[in-house]
Amino acid sequence: MDLALVIQTALNGLANGALYAVIAAGFVLVYRATSVVNFAIAEFMLIGAYLTYTMSLFFPLLLAILLALPLAFIFGVLVERGFVRPLLGRNVVAVIMATIGLAATLDGATLILWGPDQKAMGAADISQLPKEMPNLAFSLGGVFLSSKAVWSLILALPLAILLVLALKYSRYGVLLRAVSESETAALAMGINAPRVVAVAWGISAVMATIGGAFLAGAAGGGGPGHHLILLGLIVFPVAILGGFDSVPGAVVAGLLIGLIEAFSQLYLESLLPGITQAIPFLIVLLVLLFRPYGLFGQHRIERV
Amino acid sequence: MAEINVENLKVVYRGVILALQGVSMRAGAGEAVALLGPNGAGKSTLVRAISGLLPQYDGRVLDGKIAINGQETHHLPALKVTELGVTAILEGRPIFRYLTVIENLRAAGHKLTPQRHKELADEIFTRFPRLYERRFEQGGYLSGGEQQMLLLGMALLTEPKILVVDEPSLGLSPKLTEEVMRVLDELRRDKGLTLVLVEQNARAAFSIVERVYVMEQGRVVFEGTAQEAQADADVMEFYLGGAVAGGFSEAKRYRRRKRWV
Repeated sequence: MDLALVIQTALNGLANGALYAVIAAGFVLVYRATSVVNFAIAEFMLIGAYLTYTMSLFFPLLLAILLALPLAFIFGVLVERGFVRPLLGRNVVAVIMATIGLAATLDGATLILWGPDQKAMGAADISQLPKEMPNLAFSLGGVFLSSKAVWSLILALPLAILLVLALKYSRYGVLLRAVSESETAALAMGINAPRVVAVAWGISAVMATIGGAFLAGAAGGGGPGHHLILLGLIVFPVAILGGFDSVPGAVVAGLLIGLIEAFSQLYLESLLPGITQAIPFLIVLLVLLFRPYGLFGQHRIERV
Repeated sequence: MAEINVENLKVVYRGVILALQGVSMRAGAGEAVALLGPNGAGKSTLVRAISGLLPQYDGRVLDGKIAINGQETHHLPALKVTELGVTAILEGRPIFRYLTVIENLRAAGHKLTPQRHKELADEIFTRFPRLYERRFEQGGYLSGGEQQMLLLGMALLTEPKILVVDEPSLGLSPKLTEEVMRVLDELRRDKGLTLVLVEQNARAAFSIVERVYVMEQGRVVFEGTAQEAQADADVMEFYLGGAVAGGFSEAKRYRRRKRWV
């Protein structure tokens, strides 16, 4: 076994996994805050990626991503205020159908706003070379890491970890966990629950934008397109493996699935073509069968 | 100090269930009043209405008014009502079960400066040493009495002027109930709070309140001082299990016959 190749594969897996982690952490955050399964998470990624693309037409890519984040936050808050809040407290099936409807609406909106063609970051048309982040690619002892992988490791991974720490230790994190338990009890204690929930949606959109901007070029072409919607489905196996209501779980599960995908690509893909795409969903089946609470699912406190 | 006035309040749930049918009550500044009554009398609905939480239960004020220090609040959202100094401890001991004791206190006192929060948290831990011992444990693992103490501590951190407490004795032993009432009384006197206490345990409530309202089926059917309530034969029969000849079935028939509405 080539140790350098194993290390390189592991680092690439972690880099991709960090992106899954960051998106899934935002997805789970919204679930924790509102008990809403956001089936439009892939469209959040898509919108984030298109916002980044639009910014990248005028600014360097790194700055474009940073400028897209506040816009994404506002978008998330608007979705919560205009769409989710009126639905809270309704039948869970109605809310699920509504978020599926939201996904279709956002999908259509991106088609109208940005057209059906795939874009190249920072380029007016797809035939031009996309803009890239400053090159951080490096090779050390036979281990090569692409610039994109390094950027996802230094941007996405710390962001996901920061969210976990903020949720545990910050004032907002405590308030969000309180609201997620009982909005009524939180209101009775003077906690501005609607604002806490809206911020959770905003953060979720920011996280999806980071993931979307980095994954945009994953299918080639160097920019966003509707292929992102399929890529966004990875959020569900990651969230389920993590326990669905655990943000740390989502981060760990994202990294794990990234690693498993990378090693599957290296060792299994030649034997079973297509297995790499299928593996996260096979993991979901196993998790649902043997550990329905996932890796870090919240254990219910029952007093007897 | 703050006073609360409820006049001819009618509350409806889901547009059809009339839970309060013209309730009037008053708690003067620094006064302690009790709302007594059986299940379904509308006591908790009144608590929700006072604290602005009716929309959370799909309820709304149909008619009448609630005023805090003269300011009408019955159309205000819960957050605005809490800003006026009203804190409600709802029924069922609604602590945040997955948060530790310290985190529960932090959530409740989120508006305070760190310095003020520390002062009050120290006071709470002095009043309730058991909470200090269990400060890193999740609220869901506390005993019923400890959870009630935690709720009182959380309420204290909101620096209320009016404290509305719904059935604090529910599920507690007589000794713990006595302890909770003692603490409530102590807090009220120390902080100059106006206290609205909802209870089914009339004997416990009488020990700390000045005035009593008895509710039945969404109406107030008795109003008087704690002494007057204790001297009233009907109140004593209904809520303190006064002697009724003929055993349990006779008592039930007697109760049906004597319904106030």
